[in-house]
Parts: sequence; structure tokens; C-alpha cells
Amino acid sequence: MNSRTRAGWPDAFARSREDLEAAMVLSALLGSTPRTLLELAGELGTASAVLAEIREGRAGSRADTEFARILDPGTIAGAAAACGARLAPWGSSDYPEQLRHVPDPPAILYVIGRPPPERTGAVAVVGARSCTDLGGELAREIGRALGSAGVTVVSGAARGIDAAAHEGALDGGGTTLAVLGCGIDVVYPKRGRALLDRIRERGTLVSEHAPGTPPVPRNFPARNRIVAGLCAATVVVEGAGGSGSMITADHAMEFGRDVYAVPGPVTSPLSEVPLQLIRDGATMIRGPEDLLEDLGLEPGQTPLPGLGGLAPDERRALERLTAPTLPDRLASELGAAVPETVSLLMRLELRGLVRAVGGRYEPTLAGARAASG
Amino acid sequence: MDEFTEFRRDAAEGLRQPLEDGRVVVARAVGSVEFPARFTLVAAANPCPCGFHGDPARRCTCPDHRIEGYRSKLSGPLLDRVDIRLDVPRLTKRELLGETAGEASAAVRERVELARARQRERYAGTGFHCNAQLPGPVARREAHIATSAEALLADAVDRHGLSGRGFDRVLKVARTIADLAGRETIEPDHVVEALAYRATEPGARSAGAA
Repeated sequence: MNSRTRAGWPDAFARSREDLEAAMVLSALLGSTPRTLLELAGELGTASAVLAEIREGRAGSRADTEFARILDPGTIAGAAAACGARLAPWGSSDYPEQLRHVPDPPAILYVIGRPPPERTGAVAVVGARSCTDLGGELAREIGRALGSAGVTVVSGAARGIDAAAHEGALDGGGTTLAVLGCGIDVVYPKRGRALLDRIRERGTLVSEHAPGTPPVPRNFPARNRIVAGLCAATVVVEGAGGSGSMITADHAMEFGRDVYAVPGPVTSPLSEVPLQLIRDGATMIRGPEDLLEDLGLEPGQTPLPGLGGLAPDERRALERLTAPTLPDRLASELGAAVPETVSLLMRLELRGLVRAVGGRYEPTLAGARAASG
Repeated sequence: MDEFTEFRRDAAEGLRQPLEDGRVVVARAVGSVEFPARFTLVAAANPCPCGFHGDPARRCTCPDHRIEGYRSKLSGPLLDRVDIRLDVPRLTKRELLGETAGEASAAVRERVELARARQRERYAGTGFHCNAQLPGPVARREAHIATSAEALLADAVDRHGLSGRGFDRVLKVARTIADLAGRETIEPDHVVEALAYRATEPGARSAGAA
């Protein structure tokens, strides 16, 4: 850890045209981590010198050496221009200030859309890809609350919590930024195309990898440092042990940024990361209201959808549904027949107040609010 | 049919015709033979290859594409012909032990026999004797559905993409629920209950947009 440079890249690393082109070639290499390149840069000073070292086979993997020899920076620049990406190299005024001070900062960023926000205007919302319905709903509401309060929601565009947070921000009329672990013109995950299009149009896409870089798994943990580094705070909604959300939160703590976590049931594997973080000193939040309060933000102008009144039997059912419950169990608790209870649950489901999860019913956030309100 | 997803796809799909019109036609070079095939299909399958998808306490370890591949073994048209689809969760110990005894089978039998008797009476002279056998137009004519209940069903077609076949099947299930409740008219609650039994599309409720 002590050998780790905190100074970032040398000032002249990508300043000249030639060095900028070399930095673009370096951003296409898969066999060299940012840290090894950073160490080389510390010795050699410029991107051209680092690239020469790799081309001559004195550094980097063999595949990197061969790829760096044939790769033409003009191709990368052309691909960037074709997808509308701008370059934000280290040392330029477009480079996000808040990344200058984190360990292992990216040497160059490809950016599409709005310029990245300042640190104080950005909050990361991250979590499990295979999230629960409730987790997705929470991430969406947190994204929406942050977005409508004027904060940029930053995440990794993965499915699950990431996608829900991005969508919430956009649905709330706010903006959002996605840090990609692949080239900025690469659609990954494939199903996420519509979301990426929305973000490109109304928010920001960012990647440290050259356009066309495939989504190789080893690049995904590394992008979490950019997610955490861009933001004043990181919120974790759900995460299984050893997952990317733990990495993002660890980076945020290491960078001295605030970490928030939404707790879940102690029995759920997806609670592992949030509960561990809370034990480690992260701030526990129950939902968007707590987060806005802690961040000192005023709620935006998007009121929660109105519920309409609850019939007495609907209210009684919602009050009983504190945990996922079988319809027949709920029926016996209510002293009602099963068919009537199934109808009642279906009516509540159609109004978005409960949802079915693998044969049991649980309240949605709106349903829980309606029951306590 | 247990482990329904483990059957060969063409074998499972072969059930579509008899499920729809209660007969199988076997065609050979020398001609074709028709056999009567009215049956009640009861089938079960896991939610995913490892069996834990949607389980609150165990983590499903299946990659997405395997879950998709697993579920795609049951086609939409086949599932559309299944009237009642239920998620059956693993019960917790408390749910297993704490349950009050269910209704006695004898009492259920009595109710079913009464409902069947009502149906035989209603369809006397038509050649049908229960709701399930009715072709769509007859089912719609004989439904005796309250206007408000019909509006609800029409709404389900618009909002939830219920197919024409699905509409007829929900109507027949709702008719049966009304018969079991001893009611002449299908009320909105009967339709809602019938819709609830169809709401379970494998995967339709699982999270993950992107």
C-alpha cells in the first residue's frame, strides 16, 4: 500500500497531441491495470514513453505488446467521434476535479452527454444485479428523490439496482451518469440498450476504456473506483457478499466519502453487504427521506403518487402484511375465506400496494406507507 | 406431470391440441385417427434449474441465460392453455407447523358436487356438462356475468394483454368460482380471483429491467 502513488498521473502524461494519442492506445489495452500503467508513468513521465515501453515488450502482457504495435490512435479517435464521445484526459479542464485526488485515477475518460457534475452534486446508488422487487423499488425511489432534488445519480448501468437507480433519476426529471466497464459505444448488458439510450440523451456516459473495448469481467471491479470517486456519497441498496457493491463502498470509505446503506432482513443473502457496512460505520437509511435529510437536500417537486382511499378490508389486510405472507395464512389471520382474500390481494396488487413474490404477498413501499399513514 | 420443464419440448407442445379441444388426432400415411382426450392437466416445475429463484432465504445461483432457457421450454401458447398457475413457495417451519387444519376434503367434495350439479343443470341438452368443456362463444353466452365484472375483464384484456383464448379461459374459471360460491351471476370478485390465478407468468414478476 505504501508504494502506491497518491499523486496521480504526471502533469505532462497526456498533454501533447502525441501523448494524448498514446494515452488513447493505452486505454485500449486489456492486459495492463491502471495501477501498473500509473507506476510506469511515474518512472517515464509521458504516455508516449509508456507506450514505447509496452510496444518494445518491456512492460505489459505479450498480448498488450502485440496489440499496441498494430493499434492506430486514429482508429480510436474515429470510433470516439462516431459515437459522439469527447475525450477528457488527465490534466485537461474537462477531467473531473474530484477524480484527481483518488488513488489510481483513470488517465483518460471518454464522455458522452452532459459534462460530469461536481463532486457535491453527485451521489452513487449501487447494489445487486439480481435484486429483490423491493430493492429495485427502493433504488428507483432513491434515484427519483435524488434526481428531482437536482443531484446526479451515478451508477454502473448494470441490471437490477443500478438500472433502477438510473431509471428513477430520469423518471423524476433529473439526470444520471453511468460509468461503463467496457467501451462507451458497447451495449452491455444487451438488454440495457433502452436505458443506455435514455442516459446518453438526458445524462452522461463515462468510460476509461477505448471505444470498442469488450465487457471483460476483470474491468468491472475497477470501474467502481470511478463510481465512488465521482461522488460525495455512495448508497448501497442490496448486495451479496463479495459483490461489486462492497468494492464500491470500500472505495468510497477509502476516499473519505460518505457511505449509506439500506438494511434488509438478516436472513437474506442480499443483506450481507448493507448490514456489514452498517456495522462498519455506514449510515443506515430507511429510504429516500432519510437520505435527503442526511444530505441536507430539499425534496424536489415530484410528489408520490396518490393512493385514493383504502377500504376497511384493504386496510386490515395491509396492516397484517408485515412480511411475505401466504394468501391462506393471511385469510386465517383475517378470519376471511381464501377466495375472498385472493381477490382482495389481487385488487391491492392491481393498485400497486402489494406484490406477489414466489407465492407469498408483501406490501410495496406505497402499500407500507398506506398502511401506516 | 412433475418436472414439466424436463419433458421434451415437442412432447409438451403436443398437449396443446387436446388441451384446447379434448381430442388427439394421430396422422399416419394410411390415414388419421381421432381419439377422445379430455383430461385435467396438473403439472409442476421448478422456478429455475437450481430451484431457489425467488426464495427469500436461499440464493439462486443460476445465470440469467440458464433461467431464461429453462423457462422457455414452456411456450407462451402452452401456458396460455393452463387455467390456474400458482407459485408454490417452500414453506417455513412456522408455516408448516403453525397452520390450522385446512378444510376437510369431504366438505370440499360436497361443494364441488353442488357446483357440478349446477353446471349440468345449466347446460342440460347442450351436450356439455361442465364449464371447462364449453367452446368460447357458448361460454360467453352462458356466463351470466355482472356488467361491472365484465368491465373488469375487458380492462384486463387492455391492460395486461390477455389473449382472446385467455379471456375465455378466465371467464370459465370465474364461472366455476361463482358456481362453487353458489352464485348465479359472476361478480367482480370472482373475475379478480380468476385473474389472480393467471397472474403468475414464470418470470413475469422477477426483477431486473436491464
